[in-house]
Amino acid sequence: MATEPGGRHRVAIASAASAILMLAVPLAVMDEYYLHVLIASLFFAYMASAWNIVCGYTGQLSLGHSALSGIGGYVSTLLLINAGMSPWVGMLIGAVCAMGVGVLVGWPCFRLRGPYFALTTIAFAEILRIWTENTEEIFGIELRGAQGLSVPLKGHAPALFQFDGKVPYYFIILAMLAAVMALAWWMERSRMGFYLKAIRADQDGAEALGVNSTRYLLSAMAVSSFLTALGGSFYAQYFRYINPERNMGLDFSIELALMGIVGGQGTVVGPILGAFLLTPAGEITRATLGGKFPGLHLVIYGLVLILAMLFLPKGLIQPLRRLFGRRSAASGATAQPTQA
Amino acid sequence: MTRRRGGPVRRAAPSEQGRVMDPMILGVAVVNGIVLGGLYGAIAIGLSLIFGVMRVINFAHGSFLMIGLFIPYWLWQLFKINPYVSILVAAPALFALGYGVQAILIAPLYKRERAMVLEPISALMLTAGAGLIMDNLTFMAFGPDFRGITVEFASKAFWIGEFLNINYTRFLAFLASLGLTALLSLFLVRTDLGRAIRSTAQNRDAAALCGINVMRIYNVTFGMGCAVLGVVGCLMIPFYPVSPSIGLAFGVRSFITVVLGGIGSIPGCILGGLVLGVVESVAAQFVTATSASIFSFVIFILVLFFRPTGLLGMKV
Repeated sequence: MATEPGGRHRVAIASAASAILMLAVPLAVMDEYYLHVLIASLFFAYMASAWNIVCGYTGQLSLGHSALSGIGGYVSTLLLINAGMSPWVGMLIGAVCAMGVGVLVGWPCFRLRGPYFALTTIAFAEILRIWTENTEEIFGIELRGAQGLSVPLKGHAPALFQFDGKVPYYFIILAMLAAVMALAWWMERSRMGFYLKAIRADQDGAEALGVNSTRYLLSAMAVSSFLTALGGSFYAQYFRYINPERNMGLDFSIELALMGIVGGQGTVVGPILGAFLLTPAGEITRATLGGKFPGLHLVIYGLVLILAMLFLPKGLIQPLRRLFGRRSAASGATAQPTQA
Repeated sequence: MTRRRGGPVRRAAPSEQGRVMDPMILGVAVVNGIVLGGLYGAIAIGLSLIFGVMRVINFAHGSFLMIGLFIPYWLWQLFKINPYVSILVAAPALFALGYGVQAILIAPLYKRERAMVLEPISALMLTAGAGLIMDNLTFMAFGPDFRGITVEFASKAFWIGEFLNINYTRFLAFLASLGLTALLSLFLVRTDLGRAIRSTAQNRDAAALCGINVMRIYNVTFGMGCAVLGVVGCLMIPFYPVSPSIGLAFGVRSFITVVLGGIGSIPGCILGGLVLGVVESVAAQFVTATSASIFSFVIFILVLFFRPTGLLGMKV
């Protein structure tokens, strides 16, 4: 990323200011509902950022990330129910599982490009969802199929990732988001980030120059899967209920991709912009008009997606960048060769 | 999420003993699968045509089918118009809708890309947005219920031998699907417009140099791909209830069909559809009907990995 000396300062100041602002929010926002909207926005910002690490930077559209989040949620919840293991540990185990699945599935998938890649990720995720939906128990472990799993209530138990109010959840997801942003920021500037961008611009060209594209795509996939699964566990603990439809379904994957794309793929801030535009819009429409027009928020998502694709193909970040006086020249070409 | 997926569960096997590997029951399943598969093939034609010509994956394909089902449903509910007569309304309506979506939404993308290389992902996301809007506007208008029509002729069936009974409406839909495919193939080979479409698919710059209005051809192709869904919708509604949420499932199923048959190949669609129909129908004898679609996805993945050109596809 070509940053002129002044730009770095401005970025530092902007991040410090937003960090302080976000830390202070729970002091000001007392209303449970608005706090919930904020937590949901942070959650989607986190998930879209995790998606962005593999998809945004490499230009490969994965619509199967919901499966990874589902793995995270299910592993931590099943470990809690059946082994009494704290979700704090369970979520790491889930994340490692998801990482394994992500790499195993990604390895053959990355040979496919463009729409073929997207369709294959859908297929894998749907297989997992349909299997989970139709499996009541396996090896004596109750999965409860389409009914989903409820996280047993333990009251206020920080060691078990359960808290009384919403405020602790707010800080947890905020910390997770900060971590994933820092990681993306660091990756963007590392050797790997440049390789990924080269792969996005022209995979064959990058390979011809000696970039081992499979290795870097898989590394990005591993990181992204790990982070996505952690988010899935957070979701399970926050909502205390997961089911295959909501946590592994295609809708969820599309939502994540949508936020990443609307905000700006392959940038640190883009997915956060997308999530903070769409989640509150969706939540508030659902709360105010959801009774009369259920589904209206999805119509809005669709409209925003179309408008973004037509007028801001690089995402909302594009005009903002111009505002900050930074050129987006280094963000790489968006065109990629189609594999027939 | 407000959308629900899954669709009505098709009745598997004639009886509870279906799980046994009885060749008779298996035979029935295969025949049912073939009848259903023809229809899957016809549904996928539009997707294949649009991809073959424009290299655009129409993510809203299933949503167009959903609208193609709702039109004859309402025409029957409100005016008691026979679903087969409704084809005269549904096909042009879907043509117009498809034409409009292409002309208004996708055409600007082509105009923007200077190198005339369409980024496949942006077109996919655009149509996904259009699908979201169509699905949820219908959902807002009609609610989440599955709606079917009960027409008198829908329950009649004929018997082949002792076990095999085939419902007339399903059989008609099967035959019409084959007819539709043949007609479309003939149209592409024989007519001037068909030739223009094929030449645009082969090389759009060369086609433009020959005086073909490429953007118009794209609009017409997209419209035709959707018009087929209008026809199929009318054939299906007598035995297949519709809800605003069925789009995605049918869209995904069509991708599978198209990839199986070979992208861009019209006869390949029917072959892909038949394979898919038989696999789903036979698998439903061994596992629940809802998990039977796992097998379709497995086949889809295997074909993509090992024979990405599909069963009938040419090397592009």
